[in-house]
Amino acid sequence: MEALWLTVLGVLTVGYFALAGFDYGSGLLLPFGRREVVLHRMTPFFLGNEVWLVAVIGVLFAAFPRLEGELLSGAHSTFTLLLAGLVLFMASVQLRLWWWLVFTGALMVSAGWGLFLAHLLDAPWPVAFVMPVLFALHGWAFQHRKALFPVTAALCALPIPLAFSSIDVTGLMAHPDTLGLLAWVAIPVIPLVVVLQWSIVALSSR
Amino acid sequence: MSAVDLARLQFALTTSFHFLFVLLTLGLVTLLVVMQTRFTITGAPVHERMTRFWGRIYVINYALGIVTGVVMEFQFGLNWSGLATYAGDVFGAPLALETLIAFFLESTFLGLWIFGWGRLHRWVHLALLYLTALTAFASAFWIMAANGFLQHPVGYRVDGNVLRLDDFGALLTNPTFTSAFVHVVFAAITAGGVFLTGVSAYHFIKRTPETDFFRRSLRMGVVTTALATPVLIGAGFAQFPVIAAHQPGKTGAVPWIGAPLGFMILIGMGLTVVSWLTLPLLLRDAVIRMRFPLYLMVFGIPFPFAAAIFGWMFREIGRQPWLVYGLLRTEDAVSHVDVSQILLSLVVFTSLFVVLACVDWALIARAVRRGPDVEPAPVSPLVVTL
Repeated sequence: MEALWLTVLGVLTVGYFALAGFDYGSGLLLPFGRREVVLHRMTPFFLGNEVWLVAVIGVLFAAFPRLEGELLSGAHSTFTLLLAGLVLFMASVQLRLWWWLVFTGALMVSAGWGLFLAHLLDAPWPVAFVMPVLFALHGWAFQHRKALFPVTAALCALPIPLAFSSIDVTGLMAHPDTLGLLAWVAIPVIPLVVVLQWSIVALSSR
Repeated sequence: MSAVDLARLQFALTTSFHFLFVLLTLGLVTLLVVMQTRFTITGAPVHERMTRFWGRIYVINYALGIVTGVVMEFQFGLNWSGLATYAGDVFGAPLALETLIAFFLESTFLGLWIFGWGRLHRWVHLALLYLTALTAFASAFWIMAANGFLQHPVGYRVDGNVLRLDDFGALLTNPTFTSAFVHVVFAAITAGGVFLTGVSAYHFIKRTPETDFFRRSLRMGVVTTALATPVLIGAGFAQFPVIAAHQPGKTGAVPWIGAPLGFMILIGMGLTVVSWLTLPLLLRDAVIRMRFPLYLMVFGIPFPFAAAIFGWMFREIGRQPWLVYGLLRTEDAVSHVDVSQILLSLVVFTSLFVVLACVDWALIARAVRRGPDVEPAPVSPLVVTL
């Protein structure tokens, strides 16, 4: 049961960074490209990409209750920055507010994830630059070099789950009773969402 | 102010803002289901235009509401890590089901509904709206189940210094959950009905040429409000015996706790009386020709929202000093975080949410003023597709 939930959390986290990573990357590249085209390309993916984060936090709370609180409250101000950026980014992308607001939001979110990575690794703060650079690369691959997309997706997705893997979760997870109950939902829902999100993209390109 | 006071204030503010969005989302999606079902069955263009116009407003509100929901989700871990540590095994279960079944699936169904306009078979497209509505109500269901547990913990056993899930079914038959869930659902439907009525009345005041369109919308709004309010009030009063049995200290938690409760009841009663008085006036459009009721209808739009905030104030403040009633004190659940950090996040999120609420209001007002069927303005890429 423990292995199953580590896998679920891993899949959701990897999914979030691989998908939302190119949203943030596209946002970071706005000063350098044709802004309307860049935003237009990511539109059908956008809502689907961002909700993976919500699923990650939900699973973290229920399956790893004694990890979630320590992890988030231990990096309180980093998450304030990250979430403020996320609010600005999501609102400005969806409502087509000013492009520089999209850029600022993307920068705050990616810097926030960078700082969180540095916090997880106990590394000096310049490590934080890793995430914005990787996201920007991923955004560029999504926009211009589809062939490189799987590579940049993996590059974006891996740092934080790998840093996570150094944490010993024994004793931090929920009781098997809770985990067993939730497994009945998590296991069918995740593939269903993947199929449905893929259909949104297929539909919108028709 | 101490860390616990600031964290409480932050939770109260973010939840209130979030709930304003939620009310309209749930209310409008219910009415959209009716509109699109009528369109799918009859094929009449007016029903399609209604679905599009009200659907556009719904999507604007959803797009901004989802952002507040993300912050809500994080807040438990950021400021209240003691809750997860102590009760995460039990409280976390409905919360995770909400994120997976509802949040995650709902936005995906909604995305398919938006991008499926004109591209999918009309019955498939209708089914997507039903699924969106169903998952939206599932969201309310699981959140209220989680909140019901905080009000009156059931289905747990104590294991050392944490709670374990013992009987999941008990969470779903918890009396502080069941009556409150019905109450919240009908509060949202009432808000949707009052909103539909008010916006349609605005267009009659402006003498928009779309009389058939807004006549239907206004009738639908009034009838919805009249049907929903009695259930709303019934489910509200049904909670008093539950409170007396499980939270006897609730009505005396703070000296002024009666005020929000009183205002809420007053607004609920007022809306019931007014909507039932309006029903006979729908005959031969008397209410529209009299004109002055139209102004009252516009004036009435904020009231269900205010009542909902008052209701939550009573429910949540009345639970104090407990976070999990009788088991975990609020002051013991707050994260070990510096006061300045909580203050920073309080200031940042509150100001952002005030801006979001204003932007939501401004964009909805713009969509309302433009009226049905004009070329969708680039309010949102999601809206553009509609």
